Amino acid sequence: MACMNEDGQWIVLMGLLVAVGLFFLALIINQSALVGQTTAEGVLEFPKNDIRDLREAVFDYVDEGCLEAVQKDIIAISLERKNAVVHFSVGQRVPISGQQAYPVEIHYNNGVTVYDETVYHY
Amino acid sequence: MVNDSGQLYTMEGIAAGLVMLLTAYLILSTTSIYTPGDTHIPDMQLEQLGSDVLAMMDTPDTDGTKSDLEIFVTDDNSTGFEDMFLDYCNMLTDGTDDDLHMSANVTYRGEGDQIEEYLLVEPDETWTGRESAVRVTRWVQLNGNPPGIPSDIGASRPRAVLVEVLLWRA
Repeated sequence: MACMNEDGQWIVLMGLLVAVGLFFLALIINQSALVGQTTAEGVLEFPKNDIRDLREAVFDYVDEGCLEAVQKDIIAISLERKNAVVHFSVGQRVPISGQQAYPVEIHYNNGVTVYDETVYHY
Repeated sequence: MVNDSGQLYTMEGIAAGLVMLLTAYLILSTTSIYTPGDTHIPDMQLEQLGSDVLAMMDTPDTDGTKSDLEIFVTDDNSTGFEDMFLDYCNMLTDGTDDDLHMSANVTYRGEGDQIEEYLLVEPDETWTGRESAVRVTRWVQLNGNPPGIPSDIGASRPRAVLVEVLLWRA
């Protein structure tokens, strides 16, 4: 390259680096709208409140004397309205820490989350 | 013989290539406009709020008494249910009210094992705007048939019903 002045290459190189840096910052701003999306979707998908509520309903069912009709209500409505296969059963009372407790088995499956528990209910 | 003239042109060419690639990427990735509603964050917050409000309403004042939620369903008291629910979830820390609206259904198992529902709280004529409505539920156990229930529920017996609340921000 005749008559080309190659002074100032450092300045050009630094300019290039700044330009690339600005592009990466722009990319980060572009992605910031997504912050919290997977968190929120994870919270929405995980049926924490459903399982807590089901446990309380089962405990109420045990307290009221384990009526078969109530158990059928909970299983049928869970399948129809909550897309969840639910089953629970109550065993004979056993002594736990000096008190008599019912062993309650709770099973919950909505296709994504599976929850199984044996809880001793006083 | 290789000489080292023209380095600046080479560098410029590489830089131009990078800039074009990045620009193309940015343009392609901005064709879908992402709003905060698409990230489901408001939905998640609204659902959690609704679940907490139902849990509050389902907590009796003292041991052995009925919860407010159970009394509202037993008495078919739709205005009482709506007032308390909206009172709890519209409260903001700065003293003003939020603009949340709701409707409620009760789902029950009828005589022939069919699942039916009836309207407990009628929806009002408001639009949701940009955010979607969320559904929160709570089990309630009753000792008999509530008065507002259709007759296909069958004989009066202790039963579990599901209270479903549809909640949206207008």
